[in-house]
Amino acid sequence: MMDSRPRKETTEVAEVHGYCQTEIEVTHGFGLHARPSVTFTRLAKSFPCTVEIAVNGSDVWLNGKSIVKIMGAKIRRGSVLKIRAHGLRAAEAIVALKALIERNFDEEKKHGRTA
Amino acid sequence: MAEPLEIAGISASPGIAVGPAHLATQMAPVAVGSRNTSAAERHDLQEAIAAAIAELTALAERSDEESAGILDFQIEMLLDPALMGIAEERLAAGDGAALAWVGALDLYIAGIAAAPDEQVRARAVDVIDIRNRVLGALTGKPIGDFPPGSVFVGKDLEPSLFLAHDWTDGGGVVLFDGSVSSHVAMLARTRSIPMVVATGPFEIDGGERVLVDAIAATVVVAPDDTRIRKTEARAGPAGAAVKLDAGGLAHTIDGAEIRLSAIINDPAELAVVDASSFAGIGLMRTEFLVGSPANALNEEKHYAIYREALRWAGAAPVTIRMLDLGGDKTLPGIGGKSSDSFMGLRGVRLLLARPELARVQARALLRAAAHGNLEVLLPMITVPGEIDAMRAIFEEEAADLLRRGTEIRMPEIGMMVEVPAAALTLDGFSNAAFFSFGTNDLAQYVMAAARGSSAVAGLYDAAAPVVCRLIAQGVERANAMKRPIGICGEMASDPRHLPALLAAGLRHFSVAPNCIADVRSAIAGLRSNGLPAAERN
Repeated sequence: MMDSRPRKETTEVAEVHGYCQTEIEVTHGFGLHARPSVTFTRLAKSFPCTVEIAVNGSDVWLNGKSIVKIMGAKIRRGSVLKIRAHGLRAAEAIVALKALIERNFDEEKKHGRTA
Repeated sequence: MAEPLEIAGISASPGIAVGPAHLATQMAPVAVGSRNTSAAERHDLQEAIAAAIAELTALAERSDEESAGILDFQIEMLLDPALMGIAEERLAAGDGAALAWVGALDLYIAGIAAAPDEQVRARAVDVIDIRNRVLGALTGKPIGDFPPGSVFVGKDLEPSLFLAHDWTDGGGVVLFDGSVSSHVAMLARTRSIPMVVATGPFEIDGGERVLVDAIAATVVVAPDDTRIRKTEARAGPAGAAVKLDAGGLAHTIDGAEIRLSAIINDPAELAVVDASSFAGIGLMRTEFLVGSPANALNEEKHYAIYREALRWAGAAPVTIRMLDLGGDKTLPGIGGKSSDSFMGLRGVRLLLARPELARVQARALLRAAAHGNLEVLLPMITVPGEIDAMRAIFEEEAADLLRRGTEIRMPEIGMMVEVPAAALTLDGFSNAAFFSFGTNDLAQYVMAAARGSSAVAGLYDAAAPVVCRLIAQGVERANAMKRPIGICGEMASDPRHLPALLAAGLRHFSVAPNCIADVRSAIAGLRSNGLPAAERN
C-alpha cells in the first residue's frame, strides 16, 4: 500500500517494533569531532537499543555507540547523517540524538538564546 | 662559523622562545614475534589499555577543564571495545600484542590523516598519542618527558605529552608537520607557549640551541646572541612576554588589545562562570525574569539580581539590557501578538508603549548603579528619539527616588545596534553612551530572512559579509564620535567569524562563557587586521 505521509518527514517511528530512523545534516561548526563525538556516543550508550549511523547516503551502518567508528567516519560540517535505532526505547533515543545535533552538541549550553 | 640555519613555518601560537632542542623520541621498533599464545597477548594488550586509561584519568584530574576535555576524548577512545576489535585480527594471526596494536592503529591513523577536512586531520595526533601511550605500557617504556625550558622539535607533539610537561621554565615547540587546528596548538595558545608548525623536516642535533620566533613564523638553529637579542627587541612587549592575559584581555599577534566580556543569560550562571576570565559582563539579559509577569514587575527581584551581577564583576562594567520582549519572547499578558512578532512591538518599542514595565526596571537599575559599574543597554533602538524617551523615564524615576532619600546613580545608557536603520545612521545617535552590535537580529533584518525559518536558513547564513560591512561602517562612525562600540551577537562567539570582525575594527567582544577559551586562542593567532599570524611575509 502506498504510504500517504509526506516524504519530507524523515523521522519514521514504529514503536511496536522498537525501530526508529531519522536523517539530519550536521550544520554546526566542527562537525562530529573530539568533544562532540564524546557527547554523542555517551548519549547513544545511555539507551538500551542499538544505535547506528550512516554518513552521506552510504549504506554502511556504523555503531553509533563507538567513538572509534565515528571518528573513522570523518564526519564534517555539511555531512548528512542517517541515524537508526532498534530495540527498547528506540524512538526516544532517536529524538534525543537528533536534538543533540540540533543543539550543536551542547557546545553552547545555556547560550542558545540570541543577542 | 657557518651561517645559522633558518627555517620558515607557520605560527600556531605567538611568542619568542630560546632553548636547547629536545628531539622527539622515535618509538622503539616493535618486536615482531610473539612469545605467547594469542590469548596471552590479547590479555597483555587489554592490561596495557587499562593502564593507559588510568594514566590519562590521573592526568585529566590535575588539568584544567579545557585540557581535561581533550584527554576525555582519548579516554573515551580507549574505553571503546572497537579499538581492541581492530587489533583482534592481527592478534589472531599470531602477531604479538605490540605489533598487532601498532599495525592496527597505524592503519586507522593513516585513514584520519588522509581526510580532506583539516579539522579531522588534526585529530590524527590524538590517536597517535593513544597508540604511543598503550605501546609504552606494553613495552614498559613510559612516554618520556623532556627537560624543562627546552624546545620540543619533532614531527608532531601529542597532547598528553604537552600536558604532562612542566612549562613554567618556558620553552617552545617546533613541528615538522602539525596544524594550527590541532589540540596541542590550542593548548599552546592558552598557555602562551610559542609554537611554529609545518617547517618540514630539518637537521638539528639534540641539545643544540634553537630560536623559535613564532611572530615571524621562523625557526633559527644555532642562532648567535645578537640574533636572539634582535628578535626579542623587535618583538617588544608582545614577544617573549606574550601572555594570554586573564582579566578579560587578549592580544592579537601584533599587540592590539581585545576586551572580552561575558554574556550572561541567567543569574544562575554567575555561580559557575569564573569572573577573572572576563572584563565584566557585556550583555546581561533580563528576560529570565519574565517567567511570570509578577517577577517582571517585582522591583526588588530585579534589584537583587543586578546587585549580584555587580558583586560578581567587581570593579568591571556590567551592562544590563532592559527587557527585550516581543518577537520570539513574549510575556503572558504583556507583549505583542505573534502577528507583529519581529517587525512589531518589541524591545524598546514595547517598553515605551507599556512604561509600567520600564519604570520598574529603571528604578531597580538606578538603585543598583549606586553600588557598581553598571551600564544600561536598550534593545531594538531604531531612531534617536527612543533613547531620549527612555532617558526621560530614568530621569523621572531618579527624581522620585531621590525625593525619598534613596541612594541612586544615573547609569550610562547605550543602545543595541540591531536594526539596519540604526546601523546605517549611528552618527545620529550621539545621545547613546555606547553601542553594541546585536548581529543575530541585524542579520535577519538586513537579509529579510527570519532566523528561525529553515526554509531561508541559507540566506540567513549568507549574512556574515553583509553584517561585517555594516559593522565596519559603524565602528568608523563610533570611533569618530568617541563612543565605545562592541558586539554581543553569536557571531562573536564563533572563532570562524573573528577574522572578519577584527578586520571590521571591533576590539570589544561579548562572548558566551563556554566559548571564551576558543575565542581567546583564536585571537592570539590573528593579527589586528584579521589575517592569520601564519605565513611569513
